[in-house]
Amino acid sequence: MDYPLWHLAIGGGILMGLVAVTHVIVAHFAVGGGLVIAATETVAIRRKDREMRELARRGSLILLLIPTVFGVVTGVGIWFVAGLISPAAISALIHNYVWGWAMEWTFFVIEIAAALIYYATWGKVTQGVHVAIGWIYFVAAWISLVIINGIITFMLTPGDWLQTHEFWDGFFNPTYWPSLVLRTGIAILMATAFLVFPALWAKAEARPKIMRFIGLWLVVGLALAASGYFWWEAAMPHEAQVLFLATSPDQAAVLPALAATRSFLLWALAATAAVGVVILLLLPKAARVPTAVILALAAFAFFGGYERLREGARKPFLIHDTMFSNGLLVSEIAQVNQDGVLSKAPWARRSAELARADLSAPEGWSEAQQVAVGHAVFEAECASCHTLSGYQGIRPLLGDDPTLVSAVLELMHLQAEDYMAMDPGHRANLENLTYPFMPPFVGTEAEREALVQYLISIAAPPSEQGAVGGDTQAAAGPSGERTGGEQVAQAGGVR
Amino acid sequence: MNGFDLLPSLDPTPIPGPAWLFHGLLVLTFFLHLLFMNLTLGGTLMAAVAQLTARGRADDYRTTLAARMSGINSYGIAFTITTGIAPLLFVQVLYQQTFYPATMLIGSVWLGLLAVLGFGYYAAYLYKFRGAPTKGAGGTVWIVVAAVLFFVIAMIQVAVNLIHAQPDTWLAIADHPWSVLGDRTYTVRLLHFVLGAVGLSAALTAWWAVRRARTADLGEAEREREEDIARYAWRWALAAIFLEVFDGFLFLVMVPVNAALMQNLWAAIPLTVAILLALGLLMMLAQVRNPVEKPGIATGVLATIVLLLAVMSITRHQVRLLYLEPVTSRIDQVAAPQWGNFALFAVLLVVALATVGWMVRAVLTHPATGDDAA
Repeated sequence: MDYPLWHLAIGGGILMGLVAVTHVIVAHFAVGGGLVIAATETVAIRRKDREMRELARRGSLILLLIPTVFGVVTGVGIWFVAGLISPAAISALIHNYVWGWAMEWTFFVIEIAAALIYYATWGKVTQGVHVAIGWIYFVAAWISLVIINGIITFMLTPGDWLQTHEFWDGFFNPTYWPSLVLRTGIAILMATAFLVFPALWAKAEARPKIMRFIGLWLVVGLALAASGYFWWEAAMPHEAQVLFLATSPDQAAVLPALAATRSFLLWALAATAAVGVVILLLLPKAARVPTAVILALAAFAFFGGYERLREGARKPFLIHDTMFSNGLLVSEIAQVNQDGVLSKAPWARRSAELARADLSAPEGWSEAQQVAVGHAVFEAECASCHTLSGYQGIRPLLGDDPTLVSAVLELMHLQAEDYMAMDPGHRANLENLTYPFMPPFVGTEAEREALVQYLISIAAPPSEQGAVGGDTQAAAGPSGERTGGEQVAQAGGVR
Repeated sequence: MNGFDLLPSLDPTPIPGPAWLFHGLLVLTFFLHLLFMNLTLGGTLMAAVAQLTARGRADDYRTTLAARMSGINSYGIAFTITTGIAPLLFVQVLYQQTFYPATMLIGSVWLGLLAVLGFGYYAAYLYKFRGAPTKGAGGTVWIVVAAVLFFVIAMIQVAVNLIHAQPDTWLAIADHPWSVLGDRTYTVRLLHFVLGAVGLSAALTAWWAVRRARTADLGEAEREREEDIARYAWRWALAAIFLEVFDGFLFLVMVPVNAALMQNLWAAIPLTVAILLALGLLMMLAQVRNPVEKPGIATGVLATIVLLLAVMSITRHQVRLLYLEPVTSRIDQVAAPQWGNFALFAVLLVVALATVGWMVRAVLTHPATGDDAA
């Protein structure tokens, strides 16, 4: 919240989701593909099977063109996007886990070198050396997953790290092992989803044999992914489980959208199993481009659903029990309540200062200045997740009853007390919170009232507004009179 | 309010090692990144010009040169990105307060770098698979597109680094992001990188051609072609280094921290070494017309450029330290070293380099054809 404001019409979360999901699909294929391709070449050498060799060779071209280009670029993309939308969180993670990432990087160097050498040396080196490089590629790629898995799972279930702040306590956290099994299974599933396509180019008489070979890998991937997933669910702390699981017949999940995501991913997994078993094992002749596309889409949907669930189950935190999704630290709630959120948010504060609002004397604020301050508070606390009218748009959520807006913010402010009362070093129980997926409102009473006035100023029905689009774009009143929001936008030119 | 008032607060999480260690790793890994980045940028620029001037003639030595550079770069681009990850990590450890704001202030452009990189990478592959290397000629458009896109990436990187080093410009950048292009050192800084990149790529190309030209079993026509490539690349290297020396002095005059740079002994030493190396390089390049006749000098030029890049990596970092001195002097970054993890990283790095070395050696020592081949 104390960084410059970078607005995106689709919302930072959507952008991160797009980049991250496309990257993880490719990155997991890079791992599983390495395993299946190296195994395929090994079988080809032992059986002197030309078709299997061709499958491995074509697969290695896909490995070269997708993971080592697209995967590498989107991997860097995750760093870029995380730095843009959650700089505080990525900084905190790097301060804790830079050596973990550095270790992963060493395996990444091996992985990239091996991928390039493996593809470039088909037909040029002895079979033994070539297949050895294939296995080196897989081992390096899988170990990079082994390492990164520790950092990803830490964000959701920090485990003993909350008390000790020790690297390995956070790394080997409660969901580490189930997640590793799950992700290894997903990596193999991704490999089968991608490798069906080069397998379609095989000669017709050899195709059923090759499809069955890939089908066996699919079964392995499914078994690992399904068992890993349910183990992962079981390993989650109760406080996280209740967000997306009905804990008893009369106790629904706290977050219905997450419960729906869980159902979606399980159906997608079932679809992957059904389509995969049919076209790869039972009726290999049914394997055609359309059915292969369906298999791939089902597998991607399962994986994407899981990633969405994992991210959603972390709400309202970026690092569980440590940092909220807007960059606020649990440990600084009291201080921010006392000094005001704008004391911590210099970039957001600019719009208030440009409206010449004296932040130390709220009793002297004019109506326009109060709205300007409210806009600044919105930028500091809310804009990291909410746009005005786009993704998670705030405008559709607002009624025109100021008492209702005020009451909601009052409740969210009270939640700050609940977080402060939390036992340090232990997981927060979100079950009894009114808004368990939202960070608490923090700041002074004057800031809260200013936010209420700002929200009211932008809540006019869309039909009565001027053009509405960008995050700092203003809403014009029915008579063409500028609202406070518009005045803020014009006065501040706020980024 | 000025830019320093807009600094985000220091991340309260201690950094997992002493700051000097991260400074050292940042410089070291950036140097590695610089080597590959220079080949990607300079090599692609040179290949594009060579391909254009050869006008699609398959028998022109410049077409061969362009194809050769694209062959190197299909590996070079992958390693440019891979080696870029480590300095990206370490810069975030040390400069959380200035690096993130710099990227956010031109967020869309920074993000756009990814798309530019992706398209540039695929354009380079399209040239390799559909252009000169396999077709004898053609594919010019793809190598030109790749060169332009890689140049755009250099422009973005220079912009981000300038913003990152100058918090006092942030307010102006926030209101007018493109104003960074008007920074007094922007153009000379960009040229410094681009000319250095071309210089290294040209020196490597010349060295390679010299080695090939002196291979005993090469036919006369092939030998002449290699000699043409070596001379052509040598002229590129000479021109690039000549302009680089001129641009370097201009940069030194224009950079706001030049006085501090020259007065600080630890900064002045590498700067002086860099200037001497650059002048020595220029003399070596200028005294030879046909590098095939002077293979020792061709090797010397390549080694000197690599050494120069190493020294300039240090100087570049020192310039950044001096730029950011007003910020860093009032911040005491707390460290909680994780020595065990650092040691594990160091061991794994050695293992990784050894593994890559083993793979390269195994490939070179186990060639095979026919049924024995993979």
